[in-house]
Amino acid sequence: MNFFKSLTSINRRVIYLVLTILVILPFFLRFHIPQNIMPQTQKLYDFIDALESHQNKAVLISIDYTPQTMPECHPMAISIITHCLKKQIPVIGLSFDPQAPGLAIEALNTVVTKLNSQATSKEDSITYGEDYVYLGWKSGRIAALMEMGEKISNVFPRDYYNNYTDSLPLMQNIKNYRDIAISIIIAAADYPQEWLMYAQARYGLKLGAGLTAVMAPKYYPFLQTGQISGMMSGMKGAAEYENLLVKSGYTSETGKAETGMNSQILIHLWIILLIIIGNIGYMALRRKKS
Amino acid sequence: MKTILPLAICLIMGIMMVFQFFIPHPVSQQFNSIINQWVVVLSAFALVLGIGNLTSHHIMIIKRKRPGWQYSIVTILSMFLMAIVGLFFGIDEKSIYQKIYLNVLTPLGATMFALLAYYMTSAAYRAFRARSLEAGLLLGAAFVVMIGFMPIGKFIHPRLPDFAEWLMRIPNMASQRGILLGVAFGSVATALKIILGIERSWLGGKE
Amino acid sequence: MSTDPWIWIGAFLTLMIFSFLFRDNPFYKFAEHLFVGVANGYYIVFYWHQALKPNLYEPLKAGNFLYVVPLLLGILYFTRFIPRVGWLVRLPIGFMIGWGAGISIPANLQAFIFRQIEGTVVTPQSFSKGFEGLWSLIILIGVICTVIYFFFSTEHRGVLKFGARLGIIFIMLGFGASFGYTVMARVSLLIGRIQFLLGPWLGLIK
Repeated sequence: MNFFKSLTSINRRVIYLVLTILVILPFFLRFHIPQNIMPQTQKLYDFIDALESHQNKAVLISIDYTPQTMPECHPMAISIITHCLKKQIPVIGLSFDPQAPGLAIEALNTVVTKLNSQATSKEDSITYGEDYVYLGWKSGRIAALMEMGEKISNVFPRDYYNNYTDSLPLMQNIKNYRDIAISIIIAAADYPQEWLMYAQARYGLKLGAGLTAVMAPKYYPFLQTGQISGMMSGMKGAAEYENLLVKSGYTSETGKAETGMNSQILIHLWIILLIIIGNIGYMALRRKKS
Repeated sequence: MKTILPLAICLIMGIMMVFQFFIPHPVSQQFNSIINQWVVVLSAFALVLGIGNLTSHHIMIIKRKRPGWQYSIVTILSMFLMAIVGLFFGIDEKSIYQKIYLNVLTPLGATMFALLAYYMTSAAYRAFRARSLEAGLLLGAAFVVMIGFMPIGKFIHPRLPDFAEWLMRIPNMASQRGILLGVAFGSVATALKIILGIERSWLGGKE
Repeated sequence: MSTDPWIWIGAFLTLMIFSFLFRDNPFYKFAEHLFVGVANGYYIVFYWHQALKPNLYEPLKAGNFLYVVPLLLGILYFTRFIPRVGWLVRLPIGFMIGWGAGISIPANLQAFIFRQIEGTVVTPQSFSKGFEGLWSLIILIGVICTVIYFFFSTEHRGVLKFGARLGIIFIMLGFGASFGYTVMARVSLLIGRIQFLLGPWLGLIK
C-alpha cells in the first residue's frame, strides 16, 4: 500500500527536473515526425494562396501577441508575412496590444531582411511604404476597429515611424476595409471577438486568426459559421503553416515552431503518464479505504 | 446632480450609439466617426490613470518603509529610466528603447509565463482524478486531444487525429456555442440595464 | 556562446525568474519588480508617441478644436485624486460606459446571437453530405442542453434535468478538449525559453 501512496506523492522537483530534461532532449536527438495538417490551418493557407497581387487589396495583420506568448504566435506572424510578401500581396501591420509593437517590428524585420537577402532584382526586393507598412499601436481598440471601416488614416494619422499614413505609396490605394482582402488577427487575448463584432458584423470584413492554443477551442463556433475563414491554433498550427510553406516552395526550411513540436510530444506523454500514475494510486487507496 | 448627470450622459450615449448603428445617413456616420476618435483619446487617458495609480502606490510604500520597499525603488527607477529613454532617444528598431524591450521586458514576461508549464504539470498530476463519470469523460477527451493532435497520434491509430478533430468540431463546439450564446444574451441584458440606469455599480461611492 | 551583452542580460533575467521554482528569493523579487517598472515605462512612451501625440496633440495644434472635448473629459479622470470634486470622474466614465454599452448591443446580437443560431439550425441541406446531418443534430442537441444546464431560474426537474445531465456531458467533453489544448499552450511557452537559452545565449543549437 506504501507503493500506491508513493504513486500519489512524487516530489514536485522530480517532476520539474524530468520536464526540463524532456524539453531539452529533442533539440539534441533531432528526430522528425511529419505533421498532420488540421483543416482550419489549411483553409487559412488556401485563402491567402488564392489572393492575387493585381487585385489591389492588402492583407491586414493585427499583431497582438505579447512576449509571454511569443513561442506560439511569433512563428505564425513570420509565416503569414512571408507568405504574403512572397506572393507580392501588400501587408499592413498594426497592433492593439501595447506590448505587441516591439514583436511586430521584430517579425517584419526578420522576414524582410531574409527576403531581401534572397532577392535577385529590385522587383524582388521588399520596400517599406510600398510593399508593407506598420501603422503601430492605438488605444481604444473598439472605436479604432469601427473607425477603420470608414478610413484607416483617421485612426492612424501617422505610422509607427512617424510618417504621415496618407503619404505612403501603399496607402494611396488602401483607404478602409473595402480595400482589405482579409484581416488576420494574431492574438493572445480575445481580440478576434471584437473584430467579429465591430469589423465583420458591420463591414463584412473577412477574418482569419492565429491564436494561442488556450483560446483556439473557443473559436470553433465561428469557424463553423464561416465568420472566421481559417485559423492557426497554437504552436502546432504555426508548425503546420511552416510545413505548408515548405511544401509549396515559398520557403526552404521550417522554423522554430516545427522544432518545438518534438519537445511537445515528449512532454505530452510525460503529463499523461503522470495523470495515469496518480489515478492508479488514487483508485488503489480508495479501494483499500472502502 | 452628482448621480443624475452621469446617468443622463450614459443614457444619451447608449441610445445614440444603438440608433446610429441602423442609420446609414452621412450625418450619423460622421457622428460615429467623431465619437470613435474621441474614444481613442479617452482610452489613452484611462491608461495614464493606471500608471499614475501604480506610481503613487509604490511611492507610498517607499515613504512608509513597508516590507520590500527597496524593490519599489527598483520599480520606480526602471519606469522612469525606460520612459526617458523612449521619450528622448526614439523608439525605432535600432534604439535603446527597443533593445530594452527585446532583452529585458521580453525575457522577463516570457519566463513568468513559462513557469506555468511546471505548475500545470504538477497540478495535473495532483488534482486530475477520475472521481466520477464526468471527470472520466473530461480526462478521456483531454487524452484524445493531447495524443491525437501530436504527430505520433496517427502511429497509435490512423483515425486518432480525425477523432480528436471530431471531438473539437462537434461536442466541444456545441458546448462552446452554448456558453457563447449565454454570455451574449447576458451581455445584451447587462448593457440595457446600464443604459437605463438600473445597473449603477460603475458610479461607485455612496452618492 | 553569445558575446552580445544584451543577450546575457536576457539570459540572466530568465534564470532569475526560473529560480522561483526552488523557492521565492531576492533575485526573483528583483526581476519581478524590474518587469513591472520597465513595462510601465514602456507604456508611458507608447501612450505619448502612438496615441496622445498623433490623435490629440497634433489635431489640436492644427486648429481642430473639437478635440477640446475629449481633452477636457480626459482631464476629468484625474479629479478622482481631489476628494472635493472627485464625483466629476463619473462624467468620462459615464460617457465611455454608455458608448460601450450602446455599441455592444447590436454587435452582440448580430455577430454572436443571430449568426450562431443560424449555424445551429438543422436544415435539409445539412443531410446532403455523408454524416454531416447527424453531426448537425448532435450540435443542435449539445447547444440546447448546454444552455439548459446554465439555466438556473427554475429547478432542473423532468425534461430539464435530463437536458442538464446531457449538457454537462457535452461541457465535460469540451473542457477536456480545451485542457488538451491548454497543455500544448503552456508547454510552448517553456519550449520558447529553453530555445532562447540553448540557442542565442549558449549557442548549443541553431
